[in-house]
Amino acid sequence: MTGVWALLGALAAAGAIGVLLKVREGRISRRSSVDLPAPVRDLLVPGVTLVQLSTTFCAPCRHAKVVLRDLADRTEGLSHAELDVTNLPDVAAALGVMRTPTTLALTADGVEVLRVGGVPKRDSLLAALQPHLP
Amino acid sequence: MPKDAPVDPRGPRFSAWMTTVVLAVVLLTGWWRLLAAQTVLFAMCAFISLKLNPWGHVYRYAIQPRITPTTEREEAAPLRFAQGVGFVFALIGTLGYATGLTTLGTAATALALVAALLNAALGLCLGCEMYLLLRRYAPVLARPQSQ
Repeated sequence: MTGVWALLGALAAAGAIGVLLKVREGRISRRSSVDLPAPVRDLLVPGVTLVQLSTTFCAPCRHAKVVLRDLADRTEGLSHAELDVTNLPDVAAALGVMRTPTTLALTADGVEVLRVGGVPKRDSLLAALQPHLP
Repeated sequence: MPKDAPVDPRGPRFSAWMTTVVLAVVLLTGWWRLLAAQTVLFAMCAFISLKLNPWGHVYRYAIQPRITPTTEREEAAPLRFAQGVGFVFALIGTLGYATGLTTLGTAATALALVAALLNAALGLCLGCEMYLLLRRYAPVLARPQSQ
C-alpha cells in the first residue's frame, strides 16, 4: 500500500515541478550587481553583453545559445558570450547561479541589467533590454 | 571514457517512458530484483555507452522507421549524466529494498521516478539543469564524467 502512495506522491511531485519550471522558464529577474569574477569580466564588450552560463551536461543550453546568438546578431549594441562553468563552480556560486542555462545581461562596466533563468523568450527579453540599448 | 555520438532526441524520451514504467512497477510490487536490473542498466549507459540501452534498440528498430525522421540531434553528455544520477538513486533504492529498509527503497525509487517522468513527459533533465546545485552540495554525484 505504501508503494501506491509513493507512486501517487511521485506523480504529483513531477506534475508540480513540471508546472513550476514551465512557469519560471525564461523569467526575467533583477538583482543587485556583485563583484564579477574575472572569467565573466573578460567577456564584456562595449554595449550590453548577454553572458550565458552553461555546462557540458545541459541540453537546453544549446537552445538558449541559438536564441541569444540570433538576437545579438540582429540587435545593435548587444553581444552574446557563452561561459562553460562545468569546471568553474566558484564562478557560478559567486553570481548566485544554481541552474543552467542562466543568462546575465551586463553593461561594459559590469553592472547587471537583468538575468534570465532557462531558455530566454526572445520578445520579452528584447523589450526588457531596450532601455539599455543605444 | 568513450564518447557517444549525438542522438535522435526522441529515443531518450521513449527510454525515459520505459524507465518510468519500470520504476512504477517497482514501487507497486517492491520487486527489488527489477530495480537492481534497472540499476545495472543505468550504470552501463552512464559509464560505458548509451548504445547498451536496450530501449534505444527497440526505438531504433521498432519506432524510428515508422515516424517522420528528424534532423534534430541531442548531445550525449547530458544524457549520460542523467543516467548517472538515475544510477545513484536506483542503487540506493535497491540497497534499501534488499536490506529490509523498505522506506529508503521506496523513497529513492520515488525520486528516480519523478526525474524519469519529467524527462519523459517534458524532455526536462532535472539533474542536468541542477548540475551546479549538485556540484555544490553533493560533489560526488556531480563529478564530471565526460568532457
